[in-house]
Amino acid sequence: MDRLLDLSDQLAAAAQRVGQWVLAVHGRPRVPSTGIHWRSGLIVTANHTLQTDDDLSVTRPTGESSRVTVVGRDPGLDIAILRGDDSAMAVAEVGDSDAVRVGHMVLALGAGPRASWGVISAIGAASSRRADGELFSLDLRLYPGFSGGPLVDARGSVVGVNTSGASRHLHLAIPANAVNRVVDAVVRHGRVPQAYLGVSTQQIRVPEGVGEQAGVGRSRAVIVVEVQSGSPAAAGLLVGDVILALDGIAIADPLDLRGALRPERIGQPVTASVLRAGRVIEVSLTVGERPDRGR
Amino acid sequence: MMDLATLAERLRRITVEITSDGRGTGAGVVWAPELIVTNAHVIHGPRVAVRGAGCSPVEGFVVAGDRAADLALLRVPGLECPAAVRAGDGTVAVGALIVALGHPLGVPGAVTRGIVHAVGAITPGGRSWIQADLKLAPGNSGGPLADACGRVVGVNAMIAGGLALAIPVSEVQRFARAAGVPVP
Repeated sequence: MDRLLDLSDQLAAAAQRVGQWVLAVHGRPRVPSTGIHWRSGLIVTANHTLQTDDDLSVTRPTGESSRVTVVGRDPGLDIAILRGDDSAMAVAEVGDSDAVRVGHMVLALGAGPRASWGVISAIGAASSRRADGELFSLDLRLYPGFSGGPLVDARGSVVGVNTSGASRHLHLAIPANAVNRVVDAVVRHGRVPQAYLGVSTQQIRVPEGVGEQAGVGRSRAVIVVEVQSGSPAAAGLLVGDVILALDGIAIADPLDLRGALRPERIGQPVTASVLRAGRVIEVSLTVGERPDRGR
Repeated sequence: MMDLATLAERLRRITVEITSDGRGTGAGVVWAPELIVTNAHVIHGPRVAVRGAGCSPVEGFVVAGDRAADLALLRVPGLECPAAVRAGDGTVAVGALIVALGHPLGVPGAVTRGIVHAVGAITPGGRSWIQADLKLAPGNSGGPLADACGRVVGVNAMIAGGLALAIPVSEVQRFARAAGVPVP
């Protein structure tokens, strides 16, 4: 058989198959984004493409449109979960994103379907913002409206959710296994719980050599400017403490702190490396769930 | 067994270099013996210089042109290039592998590869394009967009929002018929 023709046929078959699981999501002006029918009645998209919680709708591959509601958002991961009546629509086949390696050939799909082709260029984005550190960097073009759409491996399984939310020039995908954890939380709790410690922080420059003591070697960290009463932080942190790291991961600005607090860490112990009164000490805390502030 | 190099070599033989009025270089597809299809925006006068791969330039004459459709037909007596094999209608699927040949930024006979992004209009009610996730540059205009078998599916015409846009073969055929130059 002809190798090129085989490859071409396989790519086209994958695009057609995955196209059945893909919807257009109308959550912002002008260009709609893309969503994936992840589990029965649950649609995954990129959080940054939903500019509102109201009047959201999706368009299925058949062209029919229907209303959807937001059941959870995970801004740290840039994932939002929508609920809609999509019983008639096929559910995506989600693959194991841990099996994805640098150099693997992938397709990105937008609603339509529209397709883009490339390879995994790196695993783990340049930014340390995402503490799970496992984003896929893509050597492919994410066209307008591709955010929230599926990243598809050579087998035609969904291995990630594409997003250009971090930057128009950074083409990234959130691994399917990380998305599954968010979807599991929605199925279990009916929402995406938000992890928190209960501190307000600001970035500061730390004295030379201090970072090395905490094993992180960074020149910036965050200083605690507020500790909410009754929060997990109240059990061990004080205003004026400088948080250098959480479980050995350097915290250089408040976004790093947010990124380190993934929903699945709620209820788990975490060790903060803290500069207090000129000494680096370790403070044990338990990650809490942010109380619902009401709507 | 066909590989990308073989495919590129096949396409190089059916692709010509067109110089018109000394202004830059475009590409063209050998549609039938001694007959070239290219973009109207590549042509700046009634006579052009046409060069096949590994051949000397020969003179070509414009027999039909349509600025709105961005298509032109050239008669090139003495051109010794084989004619392209064209794909039938409806044979491009989203995701299918495609290859473009042309002279991007003056690099002669350069190949780029990608996939079909979508087929249809860019704006509602607009003309239909083969939209490709593929890199084009000035100098690719008028050149072939081909499938994995080397069959021409379109004529590369422009870049929009990073997408390559090609005029489908069926539209080129309609243009040729309307111009009174029926091509088998």
